[in-house]
Amino acid sequence: MSTLVGGLGISHTPSMGVEYDRAEAPGVAGNPAWQAWFDGTRLIRDALASLEADHLVVVYNDHLNYFSLDNLPTLAIGIGDRFAQADEGWGPRPVADLGGDAAWGIHLAEQLVAQGFDPQLCLTLEVDHGIYSWFPYLFDQPWPVPITPIAVNMVCQPVPTSARMVQLGRALRVAIDRYPADARVVVVATGGMSHQISGARFGIANEQLDRTFLDLLPGHFDELAAVPVDELMRFGGTEAAELILWYAMRAALSDDVRVVQAFQTFPAITGCGALVLAEPVAAA
Amino acid sequence: MTTLPLPAFDLDPPGTYLFTVHEAVRGQRINRFALTLRSPERRAELAADEVATLEAAGLTDDEIELIRRRDWTALIEAGGHLQLLLVIVAALGGTLWDIGAHNAGCTADELRDAVPRKVAGLPATIAAVVR
Repeated sequence: MSTLVGGLGISHTPSMGVEYDRAEAPGVAGNPAWQAWFDGTRLIRDALASLEADHLVVVYNDHLNYFSLDNLPTLAIGIGDRFAQADEGWGPRPVADLGGDAAWGIHLAEQLVAQGFDPQLCLTLEVDHGIYSWFPYLFDQPWPVPITPIAVNMVCQPVPTSARMVQLGRALRVAIDRYPADARVVVVATGGMSHQISGARFGIANEQLDRTFLDLLPGHFDELAAVPVDELMRFGGTEAAELILWYAMRAALSDDVRVVQAFQTFPAITGCGALVLAEPVAAA
Repeated sequence: MTTLPLPAFDLDPPGTYLFTVHEAVRGQRINRFALTLRSPERRAELAADEVATLEAAGLTDDEIELIRRRDWTALIEAGGHLQLLLVIVAALGGTLWDIGAHNAGCTADELRDAVPRKVAGLPATIAAVVR
């Protein structure tokens, strides 16, 4: 049977990918403002490696780079052995396609529907910086672990509620526990921390909010998830709404998780941070 | 040199333009045009002949004029989605900074110098937990 061994929450932003591609050497940022991100993700990478995951379930959001406003699923799941990179308007980055595992996609789709979710099923799902921007910081090519991407609408209101993300996490837990083959699974959620990239509030940076979020998510989840999403947007910028995706990761895990590694930094216009949680079973 | 004030904690224009399904309906011509620029060939066409490409794109005269003037704030008000305006600005040789600067009322260099625009504050309910 498969075992949910832990979780990863991590921010994403296009510039993260740009900085990776123009790094002076492995681990050395070309732009000094990004060095703390390079250093922090080195620790996150080790923490994640210690979980020895065979599969990653990744809850993320597309930025209208694959989906469109003519066809915008509130929830979608990728079912396939390969998830190519979407062209975001300036050509793809020089990284390999992400690997998938259709058997996992099928299983998760069936289990989510059985539990009352209505995901769009995507045999083709091109993935944008929502996953590609941070993935190379944590894994070397050829990618050692396949993923199942689960896309959530975060680009056009109405977006799902915080409570729905909590339910999604719990449903993923049940689904993973029911997978009929041996596997060690990590649930990943990715959303930018505080940021806003339009309007006169462009560039708002609330590190107090980002640090508090990382502090409260492991042990004060109920209080955190009860914060109205409008409040996250007011204090952290409109795109801070993406933080509710992290709830799906936390809700998939038990009350007994421990924090293996966490950090945050603010290189430019998006709050950047990551958190690795481990279940007690992970060490067994 | 413009000194940008720190962002306030509100969600109203001009500080913030929320994108809802109302904007999606209003801005659908602009946003569909932007999606055609996912293709490198279409981006090259726009770069080569901006006027002809815009006139063939199913946009209204007003929308074409807003793009010609690089009036990013008015394009957002007209229902353009930021992620899609980003594709348009890139195809025209600009960046996100051009849109942000237009929104914030400064130059792109001034905005680059101003970020991160650091503020502090927490929603009341979690501030109580932290305290």
